[in-house]
Amino acid sequence: MIFSNILAIAQRELQGYFASPLAYIMAAIFWFISGLFFVEILIGEQGIIQQIAISERAGIDIGDIDVAKEFLTSFLAILGSLTVLIVPVLSMSLYAEERKRGTLELLATSPITNWVVALGKLLAVTCLFIFMIFPALIYEAIALGGAEPAMPFAVPILGHLGLVLLAASLLSLGMFVSSLTNSTILAAVLSFGIILLLWIIELIANNLSGWARSGLLHLSPIESYNNFVRGVVSLSDFILFFSYIFLGVFLTSQSIHSLRLNRK
Amino acid sequence: MSQKTIEVEHLSKVYGSITAIEDIHFSVDAGEIIGLLGPNGAGKTTTMRILAGYLPATAGTAKIAGYDVHKQSMEVRRNIGYLPEAPPLYPDMTVKNFLWFVAKIKGIKAQKRRDRVYNAMALCQLLDRQDTIIRKLSKGYRQRVGIAQAIVHEPPVIILDEPTVGLDPRQIIEVRNLIKSLAGDRTIILSTHILPEASMICDRVTIINRGKVVTSNTPNNLQAQLESSSGYEIEVGGNVDRILPLLSKIAGVLRVTVAKSSLNKHPERRLLQISCASNSEPGKEIATAIIQQELDLHEMRRTRPTLEDIFLELTTEEKLFS
Repeated sequence: MIFSNILAIAQRELQGYFASPLAYIMAAIFWFISGLFFVEILIGEQGIIQQIAISERAGIDIGDIDVAKEFLTSFLAILGSLTVLIVPVLSMSLYAEERKRGTLELLATSPITNWVVALGKLLAVTCLFIFMIFPALIYEAIALGGAEPAMPFAVPILGHLGLVLLAASLLSLGMFVSSLTNSTILAAVLSFGIILLLWIIELIANNLSGWARSGLLHLSPIESYNNFVRGVVSLSDFILFFSYIFLGVFLTSQSIHSLRLNRK
Repeated sequence: MSQKTIEVEHLSKVYGSITAIEDIHFSVDAGEIIGLLGPNGAGKTTTMRILAGYLPATAGTAKIAGYDVHKQSMEVRRNIGYLPEAPPLYPDMTVKNFLWFVAKIKGIKAQKRRDRVYNAMALCQLLDRQDTIIRKLSKGYRQRVGIAQAIVHEPPVIILDEPTVGLDPRQIIEVRNLIKSLAGDRTIILSTHILPEASMICDRVTIINRGKVVTSNTPNNLQAQLESSSGYEIEVGGNVDRILPLLSKIAGVLRVTVAKSSLNKHPERRLLQISCASNSEPGKEIATAIIQQELDLHEMRRTRPTLEDIFLELTTEEKLFS
């Protein structure tokens, strides 16, 4: 029952994305930029293959290098940065638009809880994100398919799982921000600010020392994502992502609840 | 268990320092259509939002189908259909997909959904627009979709907030007929600031003003209450100053006001507006007084107040008696 309601919300949300040009425009920009980086990293002037060729011609011993792994790490780092940039745009209208249209009143007077609505929306927007990174997965599969020796499956899978979890965490926070306002633009700007703050947590942490440093580093979703990419995932990275997701959903449901208390 | 479908007792809502509604009370029997009537800002929308479980009340209780709207919110939500002031529509969906979605989140089982959606569209005459995207519908059709979403799960109680606002006269008539056709085993509560609408659709009318219930009665009784108090409009020529004290002394006359005649042809004539106490018939004495004072009596007409007048009288008391 609860699950089918979550799916109902998610399905409606997805229908909404693909009925508006915004999703296509965002996807096109994302595909273009990620494609550009893909080509550049792989076979560009400064790309990995060129770099190795140059080094070899110059007779520099660079030791054993796993080109496929190097490539994947660089490309996933780029995808991570693109994700940070794109999340505020994906999450901005999740609730702001419902508030503006008055459809929140329909959801809030239907026999479903705020949790179900928030989870459904997060599920939908995460699916949209997966749809956006899908072409990148195909290029990667083609490129990595030619790797010799073959790369173990677990490496790219873990990296992309990390990417999706990173996106879901940030989207969850963006969803909360979106539930605070009727303005999608304001929601996007605010979410971007919060995400930027999480992004530079690492920089801040590195200027500190002792427990403050390690504490802050543990809060950084980017740091956890890097662990996924490097393939050194610990339980704490999973816990961090799921904590962000939970926090976002929890705050969203509370904000919708209090919206009803204060509504004039 | 009570017999009443909707029971509202001592309901109050305070926003900070503003009291939106105060000690609202009314009850509705199963199958009744009740109208909440009041000027804009009287507290109708607040009352309806509380009934729909969208807003919590500051004090008092409201029960729908025996369930407390605050404590048993989920049961109440299953038993109501609610059309807010602005119909809650997703503009990018087709009518059918939207109603399908609403049926789903209202908890209609998959095997019944097709029938319920079809029935709602048939009742609201939307079948020919079922595959149209809501954004492309006219305002009248959107309002019908709004009503369809409120009835698609066949709730025993339907709450409609200003269902005809912003529609053109023809659409208003259509929506009114639609609401009337929904009555029967369903209980309907609707709000409006248009009196004839309330008297046309509703079995009972509760008038609220400034957050308080002014009166609650059937439209016929309200009309009767009106007709018992009436007045006269008299067009006279001559010096009216002499006659005013005399008229005021006649038993049953409450108030006499003088206005310029509306006829431009006779600017010297005056229009006397006399309001009379309930069940008094001072017409003969008034006419006699005018003739004895040798004024020219050009027209004397009985005025019966309309519902608008009662409404104004009930909601603007302090002005009238100051």
